[in-house]
Amino acid sequence: METVAIKIPASPVYLQVVRLVAAGLASRLKFTLDDIEDLKIAVDEMSAYFTGSNGRDGTIEVTFTVQEDRLEIRGAGTFSPGEKVRTELTEFSRMILETVADSASLEQMDGTPTFNLVKSKAS
Amino acid sequence: MSERATLSKDEVRGLFQEYKEATPDEQPALREKLVEQHIGLVEFLARRFRNRGEPLEDLVQVGTIGLLKAIERFDLDREVEFSTYATPTIVGELKRHFRDKGWAVRVPRRLQELHLELTKVVGHLGQDLGRSPTVAEIAEATGTTEETVLEGLEIAQAYNFTSLDAPIDTDEGGSTSFADQLGEEDEHLENLEYRASLAPEMAKLPERERRILYLRFFKGLTQSEIADRLEISQMHVSRLLNRTLSNLRTALEEE
Repeated sequence: METVAIKIPASPVYLQVVRLVAAGLASRLKFTLDDIEDLKIAVDEMSAYFTGSNGRDGTIEVTFTVQEDRLEIRGAGTFSPGEKVRTELTEFSRMILETVADSASLEQMDGTPTFNLVKSKAS
Repeated sequence: MSERATLSKDEVRGLFQEYKEATPDEQPALREKLVEQHIGLVEFLARRFRNRGEPLEDLVQVGTIGLLKAIERFDLDREVEFSTYATPTIVGELKRHFRDKGWAVRVPRRLQELHLELTKVVGHLGQDLGRSPTVAEIAEATGTTEETVLEGLEIAQAYNFTSLDAPIDTDEGGSTSFADQLGEEDEHLENLEYRASLAPEMAKLPERERRILYLRFFKGLTQSEIADRLEISQMHVSRLLNRTLSNLRTALEEE
């Protein structure tokens, strides 16, 4: 089990980097293109909670854990005091994530908004 | 407009009536008649765009796609003449044509070629393998690296932004069978709208985007399967889906 971590400003501009890392790691695990596309959608969906559509004052640390047949992704957001971040998935998100990921959750961990995503390789 | 034998308004309505009631075997001939009857309108509208460096014949062809869409969607119960109804659809198709050309100019040539190559290879590989290909397989087939493929896939998302109001795309084929693709799933689409308090936003989506959302998230079809069904490339499905989700996210956030 190995991990890769990146830290980005909480802005949608940098999500491309997160998607590329996710896709690169999934590619190493020999995910199919369909699964990679799903993974990217899941990453976007989760990250959008932290970045909003215009960005927020803060950073997101995204940690990828590479398992044999799956990728686990955790994102932890650190924001300046004024920023309000939702920590509950909307019904819309749940609908999307049910389809594109094995599991997905959004929570407060020790006061830090955190998302967790798991995506397995198609069997 | 044109010198062809023109039918009266009532005769046109009659022809539409016949067309809508016709069996699938009879429809092509009747559709042909309807197109013939309105090609003058297409030519008239196409001429308004002719000083933009495109041959008129090409523009007429593009406009005819719009005409075909309008024919499929025209509802006789509407108290509006077909030509009035069809004009915005035809003009929309012509405008989109130029917008797509604009896309071709802005994207660096190398990336354009990479994108085209990937679109083609992903489709072929999918058919050969009977499943979605891996990045390594795509890299091998295109004689490039995995990194380049990943970059190419990501770039497909970055370009060609259009608004939610964009007319339905039918590049990459499938324009004439579009109407056939609708229908059976309409009632399911209705259900989709009522979920997640999305109704107002969903209603604004072009039909194709709504359908892709439905097929992906309610029917559980993969992007490749949707691509097959809609006769467009998987990369195009991916682009439309990502764009739609992103727009919906923004719209919901602003609520």
